[in-house]
Amino acid sequence: MGVTDLMSMAKPNLESRNKILSRLRGKELVNCFQCLKCTSGCTALKLLELKPHEIVKLVNLGFVDELPSSDIIWTCVTCLKCVQRCPQKASPYHLIIALRNQAVEKEAKVPETYMKIVSSILETGLAETPQKIVTRKMETVDRECLKLPKVRPPKESFQACFMKAMEGKKC
Amino acid sequence: MLKVAVFWGCCIQSNQYAYEMSLRETFPHLGVELVDLNEAICCGDPVKSVNDFAADFLAIRVLALADQTGLENLLVPCNRCHFTISEARETMRNPKIAGKIEELLREEGLEYNPGIRVWHTIDMLHDLVGLEKLKKALKRPLKDVKVASHVGCQIIRYSDLGRVDDAENPQKLDDLIRALGAETVEYAEKLDCCGAALTRSHPDSALSLAGSKLKAVQALKVGGMVVSCPDCQLMFDAKQKNAGTTVGAKLSVPVVYYTQLLGLALGIDQDKLGLNLNQSPVDQLLSKISA
Repeated sequence: MGVTDLMSMAKPNLESRNKILSRLRGKELVNCFQCLKCTSGCTALKLLELKPHEIVKLVNLGFVDELPSSDIIWTCVTCLKCVQRCPQKASPYHLIIALRNQAVEKEAKVPETYMKIVSSILETGLAETPQKIVTRKMETVDRECLKLPKVRPPKESFQACFMKAMEGKKC
Repeated sequence: MLKVAVFWGCCIQSNQYAYEMSLRETFPHLGVELVDLNEAICCGDPVKSVNDFAADFLAIRVLALADQTGLENLLVPCNRCHFTISEARETMRNPKIAGKIEELLREEGLEYNPGIRVWHTIDMLHDLVGLEKLKKALKRPLKDVKVASHVGCQIIRYSDLGRVDDAENPQKLDDLIRALGAETVEYAEKLDCCGAALTRSHPDSALSLAGSKLKAVQALKVGGMVVSCPDCQLMFDAKQKNAGTTVGAKLSVPVVYYTQLLGLALGIDQDKLGLNLNQSPVDQLLSKISA
């Protein structure tokens, strides 16, 4: 393929393209005909300039390598409108999730919160643990004084199994 | 009494107590008894972006825990948990992935049962309990109250997965509100997203999305906004002030959970429904209802 991305002088990398496509089992990315239904309804377009059709096109042409380290993949709100509306079942959302997973594997820049959540799940089973909150009248309350039952932590075997799952990959 | 297993998820159990309280209070009035799972774990939603296999493992583990209750129905009141679990079930159709996940579950003596039916608050009330039964249970139907509904994103999309309501024209939450005697409005921004998922990477943009939607709802001049997702409530209610600052608007929109509104119509005390926990100016709406 004699294509070059004139913005970055990058050459297509078909191996990386196939790697991403294999992660997307059943999602027919290659069928995208750039109708722009995804981008015209994208929640993150106006604010953060996410253009899902561009990401699909870049991957289809083999310009994959720069995407995992780009901040653009972290601008998706996961509202799923693009999955719903795509006439070709190309599903930009699933592509973005696959690129995020790749960013983690490549140790590219990943928003810190995500990794904090993973450690919290490892430690407690939960992404967030019960907090004290304030009422509208500024009284501090917790689950106990609201008469809500205690949150039951997962059994001990959970931690090791979750670790194993984190080491595993989908394909 | 119909016994139903319930998986709360992290957001509800860690700070959105009003949703939990109002669900626990209202459902028994409608003949539904909620049975908690033996363990509380994350559904896998935030892990999707890090490692989608691990996310699927967590979601399927939730279903394995639900299986331990021996019940046929599972209530998942959080939109994001509902989506993550629904999508993981779809993934389990792939024998290779299913094999790996089942192997991990076996190590803990757990088993995945694909038979269990997964519900959200909205379809459980609308389709399982039913509008007629709900109407009959009301003690104080609402009068002269008009609100805007916000169903959120992940319980209505994407349809191939089998979702709670229509993806482009969801009506079940509106039906449920009208069943209480209140009125609803259709508005152009109805399907706009609350922005919660962006909090992890672009918190200001997340607030800006919530602010824009609230601004649109405020312009409708209705009594408030009704939601059914803990993430949406967090954005529209607890973060309303900050959201307003981000979009340069002074916001004053009462935001309540559907189950709180339902509880009022069932004649349940405000405190038992967690109505003292809402941070948005719900008193405006409450005085109208109790008047």
